[in-house]
Amino acid sequence: MQEPIEETQEGLTVTVCVVNDQGLHARPAARLAQEAQKFGSELFLAMDGMEVDAKSILDILSLAAAKGTRLTLRGVGADARHALEHLSALFSNRFREE
Amino acid sequence: MAREILQGIAVSAGVSIGKAFFTNRRRRSVSFEIIPPGAADSEVARLEQAADDVREDLARARDNVPAELRDHAAIINSHMMICQDPKLIRAASQRIRDHHICAEWALDQAVDAIAAAFSAIEDPYIRERVQDVRAVAERIQARLVGRHAEPLRTPDERIVLMAHDLTPADAMGLPTVKIMSFATAEGGKTSHTGILARSLQIPAVVGVSSLEESVADGDLVIVDALRGLILVDPDEAELADYTDLKYQFENYQKSIRRQSTLPAETLDGYRIDVQANIELVEEVPQVLDGGGDGVGLYRTEYAFLNRRTPPTEEELYEEYAQLASLLSPRRVVFRTLDVGADKMLAEQSQLQEPNPALGLRAIRFCLRHQEVFRRQLRAILRASAHGSASLLFPMISGLHELRQAKHILNEVRAELDAAGQPYDPDMPVGIMVELPSAVLISEALAQEVDFFSIGTNDLIQYSLGIDRGNKHVSYLYQPLHPAIVRSIKYVVDSAHRMGISVCVCGEVASDPYCLPILLGMQIDAISIAPQAIPGIKHILRRTNMEECKELLRDVLSASTVSTINRMVKETIYNRFPEELTFFSSMLDQDD
Repeated sequence: MQEPIEETQEGLTVTVCVVNDQGLHARPAARLAQEAQKFGSELFLAMDGMEVDAKSILDILSLAAAKGTRLTLRGVGADARHALEHLSALFSNRFREE
Repeated sequence: MAREILQGIAVSAGVSIGKAFFTNRRRRSVSFEIIPPGAADSEVARLEQAADDVREDLARARDNVPAELRDHAAIINSHMMICQDPKLIRAASQRIRDHHICAEWALDQAVDAIAAAFSAIEDPYIRERVQDVRAVAERIQARLVGRHAEPLRTPDERIVLMAHDLTPADAMGLPTVKIMSFATAEGGKTSHTGILARSLQIPAVVGVSSLEESVADGDLVIVDALRGLILVDPDEAELADYTDLKYQFENYQKSIRRQSTLPAETLDGYRIDVQANIELVEEVPQVLDGGGDGVGLYRTEYAFLNRRTPPTEEELYEEYAQLASLLSPRRVVFRTLDVGADKMLAEQSQLQEPNPALGLRAIRFCLRHQEVFRRQLRAILRASAHGSASLLFPMISGLHELRQAKHILNEVRAELDAAGQPYDPDMPVGIMVELPSAVLISEALAQEVDFFSIGTNDLIQYSLGIDRGNKHVSYLYQPLHPAIVRSIKYVVDSAHRMGISVCVCGEVASDPYCLPILLGMQIDAISIAPQAIPGIKHILRRTNMEECKELLRDVLSASTVSTINRMVKETIYNRFPEELTFFSSMLDQDD
């Protein structure tokens, strides 16, 4: 079940939940950054009021988001909607390779 | 005598003899230079080029990873992402422009800044990822100074691979068939090198601090990954001894593997169950391959750690049911949540207990936080419908706690009945005997449970009043202290008088010197680390029960640890002189 994408003044946002057992550890973080880098839009990931660059594996790791954490993805740019759809699907698929 | 004998940590057992071959050595200190005004753009370009080159090297290494080592491909992939991370390269570029420093220096500063940010993170796994950032940065720096322009040096004959540290990408660039063993200067028990060596089944010793100073390329070395030694330039006698040891070890490994599915029965027909202590479903194949009679201790804490909200009943049920059905018809003993002391739950870490080992942990924690406890009990009961499950309460100190826990269990059963959920109504219920108080009232406890499991690690700690992790007192951690031997004997006798079975969990049960004493007490089962099962079954199958009883009588009449240790060592060593070379014992520390 994916949450709806919302339009805000700061761009598009969507809520995602970490459902894979290990949380956002190296492998899922690498995959998330890798996929985010495919988009031209600026992409951010926020947790507890801290927002980081979703294209940076180091930034993602620094959140230390455990299983069960809810985060907000935010995108600003032409392909932001597409990016948010794609990245939130990664979360719900537990970052499995297709 | 060898020219030098270096001490390290054995992470993958075995022996190998061959020529040393270094793939990399410690990087020389990076240059710290101020660049001329106007040179910033070209310096940034130089950095970006080096990062791109390293990224391509890594991509090549990843594509060469064989299918069975997919985990390593994933690690290399994360190194590639670090290599192109804006936080690293952009931050370094910014420093080049702002401070007019060279790329190598800027990169060093960028890594230090990342390390400082990561050091505040609570999750130790994430904190340690700084090692990956450093590994990547060092590769880029090596590129910058023109080293490693070629891929890593590759050997053309079978060699002992040596390195300052071996990253997965380094290892993947090498033809694994040519590597007889690994030795590295860095690394600890959980390093990548150990994981890799074990998956390739070759010996490895890590953390050999003077490796680079003491060993040159082409030196003849012996890697003793039974004792964690590197012998540099050994003499003929050592070569002969180790050639022999290597041959024996390899034959030994083959023979214990071949025989591991035979029953765990002494020469005179006394049979026990040899079960495994595990904490992940993924460990089940190793238990079954090694000839384990089920799981004597399933540690259920893993699912509760490193997360914000406790797992749901459904999650737990899925995990437990999978385990029960995989192991069926063998038994699996679920120990209820044993958090506290070394494994903190979020709720507990807020308590700030001055002495967590004696604090609100295990069953005490569960009786206080009943919603978590009930959820786990429901999941275990429901899983019992899928195989042969048992329930084990940890850290019981008296009858009242046991009755409270059983009362809650009965309430949960009634809820399941009302909901029409199936479960095994005869699921055995036992307790861990690990506190001196439980030892002394074991006869009373035995009347209210179906089995005992003696947790020797904690029993030793609580009985002798010492913290094993504290190096000032760890010499007092003596598994064969007369008080410990008598305590275990007392518990076994109480249990048998009341007609219930006893399992011994803990390192004592997989120590070849201690096991015969336990056998002499006529224990019913042991539960040990899965990898120890084949070796321990092999020893057990050549042991004589009558001799064990005799040894136990002698041990019980002795009054000091040193007498007991000497007596046991002589008796057992004389029984299995060759085989014991392949074991390490808890008794060795007093030598």
